[in-house]
Amino acid sequence: MRSRFDEQLAMLNHEMIEMGAMCEKAIAQASKALTEGDLALAKEVTATAGGIDQMERDIENRCMKLLLQQQPVARDLRQISAALKMVTDMERIGDQAEEIAEIILFLGGRTMEPCGQIDDMAQATIKMVTESIDAFVKKSVETAQSVIDQDDIVDGYFIKMKNAIIQLIAENQEDGEFALDLLMISKYFERIGDHAVNVAEWVIYSVTGVHKEE
Amino acid sequence: MTNRIFRSILIVAIAVLLASFVIITWCLYDYFGGLQEDLLQEELGLAAAATEEDGAAYLRALDSSYRLTWVAPDGSVLYDTQVDAAGMENHGDRTEIAQALQTGSGSSSRYSATLTEKTIYKAVRLSDGSVLRISKSHATAATLVMGMIQPIMIVAVLAVILSALLAGRMARRVVQPLNQLDLEHPLDNDAYEELLPLLHRIHAQHQQIEQQLRSLRQRQDEFDQITGSMQEGLVLLDAKENILSINPAARALFGAEPSCVGQDFLTVDRSQEMSQAIAAAMADGHHELRAQRGGRKYQFDISRIESQGTVAGTVLLSFDVSEQAESERSRREFTANVSHELKTPLQSIIGSAELMENGLVKPEDMPRFVGHIRQEAARLVTLIDDIIRLSQLDEGGDMPQEPLSLLDLAEEASQALSAAAEAKQVQLTVDGTPGRMVGVHRLVYEIVYNLCDNAIKYNVQGGRVELTVADTVREASLTVKDTGLGIAPEHQSRVFERFYRVDKSHSKQSGGTGLGLSIVKHAVLYHHGTIHLESTPGVGTTITVAFPKAAGGQGL
Repeated sequence: MRSRFDEQLAMLNHEMIEMGAMCEKAIAQASKALTEGDLALAKEVTATAGGIDQMERDIENRCMKLLLQQQPVARDLRQISAALKMVTDMERIGDQAEEIAEIILFLGGRTMEPCGQIDDMAQATIKMVTESIDAFVKKSVETAQSVIDQDDIVDGYFIKMKNAIIQLIAENQEDGEFALDLLMISKYFERIGDHAVNVAEWVIYSVTGVHKEE
Repeated sequence: MTNRIFRSILIVAIAVLLASFVIITWCLYDYFGGLQEDLLQEELGLAAAATEEDGAAYLRALDSSYRLTWVAPDGSVLYDTQVDAAGMENHGDRTEIAQALQTGSGSSSRYSATLTEKTIYKAVRLSDGSVLRISKSHATAATLVMGMIQPIMIVAVLAVILSALLAGRMARRVVQPLNQLDLEHPLDNDAYEELLPLLHRIHAQHQQIEQQLRSLRQRQDEFDQITGSMQEGLVLLDAKENILSINPAARALFGAEPSCVGQDFLTVDRSQEMSQAIAAAMADGHHELRAQRGGRKYQFDISRIESQGTVAGTVLLSFDVSEQAESERSRREFTANVSHELKTPLQSIIGSAELMENGLVKPEDMPRFVGHIRQEAARLVTLIDDIIRLSQLDEGGDMPQEPLSLLDLAEEASQALSAAAEAKQVQLTVDGTPGRMVGVHRLVYEIVYNLCDNAIKYNVQGGRVELTVADTVREASLTVKDTGLGIAPEHQSRVFERFYRVDKSHSKQSGGTGLGLSIVKHAVLYHHGTIHLESTPGVGTTITVAFPKAAGGQGL
């Protein structure tokens, strides 16, 4: 009975990592599509995000089944409840990558040359997502903490982007719509960063049992 | 253990109890039965004698514990000591009486309806033909047994209790030395001798296990040694994709820690393409994947491992194919370049020829056009010559080797190039020791000529080119130093590639084919020599080629 429970926990872990990898893929695809104006790649993000949604439902089902049938306690309970919270954040990361891809499709291949910083922002966000998944995989509190600390960097980029967009509108008033799209994209990246921080916090919770309440 | 001992003791106790009970009961019963019959017989004899004399009067006066019945020859009862004779039926058919009537005496025994009593009858014929019968009832064996059940049960319960106590004590006494055995050194134990065979067997098994462990460890060591020094990454996964073994090369490739053994492979590499490839290998038996890891290209070969018909896992081998991909790329580039380089002069020739064909060229311009065609054709021939030479060098093959002097060759080359040097006002000097070596004359000359030619071609107006030949014990070397344009650091590693040009415009003014340095490199390699380039943009370039003096260098 117990070994079956352990097996199911391992399976849950496996699926969580898979879902994390898909989130990384979605945001990497979105960022690449943004840099290169690759519309085909932007369309692929939608498929990846769909896969992430499916994984979220699967993992939720598995967690519920585990909670009901095995009635876990202590560390196991923490792991399952943290997984339940994490999949929500990961699903949001996928959704936001999808939103970015939609804007890219809307822009029709126009790239972001006027604001070089959005690439840096995208890279910083990808790094956060990757490290938050790494923290989960390695159950590493330090890595999770480093993700939480990196949020300031992405927030800083968002403020810089905002200023750059104000400049853009001041210089070229006809391009207001583009400027707004740009703002949306940077906001989405900033939100993805926040979700990565949430994931990292739940990793810390599942390891130490303490969840940092803001 | 206790239970078994208890059961054995109890079975023995109960069996002994029952057996002794049965035997004693049977013996005693038999003995007393015989005794009673003898008494009965004696009594009957006395009674018969008395009855012969006194008749019924004797019987009436008799006060005995026996029952006496006097039966007339026709079977009717004459007298009975216990029951009124008148009420009794005819006794002629009773076994003992019938026997007595016939033979003079008879006997029989009958059980009562409830089996609790047994009656023994003895009869004797009197002289007047009547029969006197004596009988005695006593309890049967069953009745006796019934009466003894209670004490027997008490004894049995006692036996159970005693057996339990004894069994517990015995089990403890048997097991205690067993528990205190030192199984690490079985033969050093001071145990009772019944245990010795067991200890010997344990000792033998110990040795066997140790031997097997040693050979296993040795095999594991060998495996680790082999996989540890492998350049290729090797990962063994079980059917659930947990890591069974991962060698250092693979650990470095995936950036994994040694503790990852036993964990899910996803914790080491979670890319989707990889997990899909592993799933495909599980399904189809084999799968190949090319992917980038840490800036290098790797080929991953994943194969399914089957054992007795079931999937035991997968083995993942990784090869660094960066170089291979690089050489594939340069080969593709070479083919594209060759076609391009061959096509350019031909286009030019066709263009000029078409103009002439259509009469668009004035007669006075004719020599210029023809000259142009000749020039381009000559360029084409040079190019093809270079390509042929390169492919000859690629092929290897044996070329005649002879003793040479680098200094002589340098002089020769500077003579041949003096016109070009003068045209560019470049000062050409040759200096140094003879530089004796053994090599292919044509190839070494080609090296010296090409280096010198380049030094002049890519020089500034009024620059200098110094050819210096030097000898050491092992090597003869030639240094070509110019005061030319120099090569920027990012180009330095690539100038020996075919058709690689620092000046991307393929400028015709220098007139090169882009193959010169490539030929130099191959020719030097053919002689097992080394080539060294130092260059500072705007200051000049120094190229040193060194050849080993030992007469090596046959073939590549």
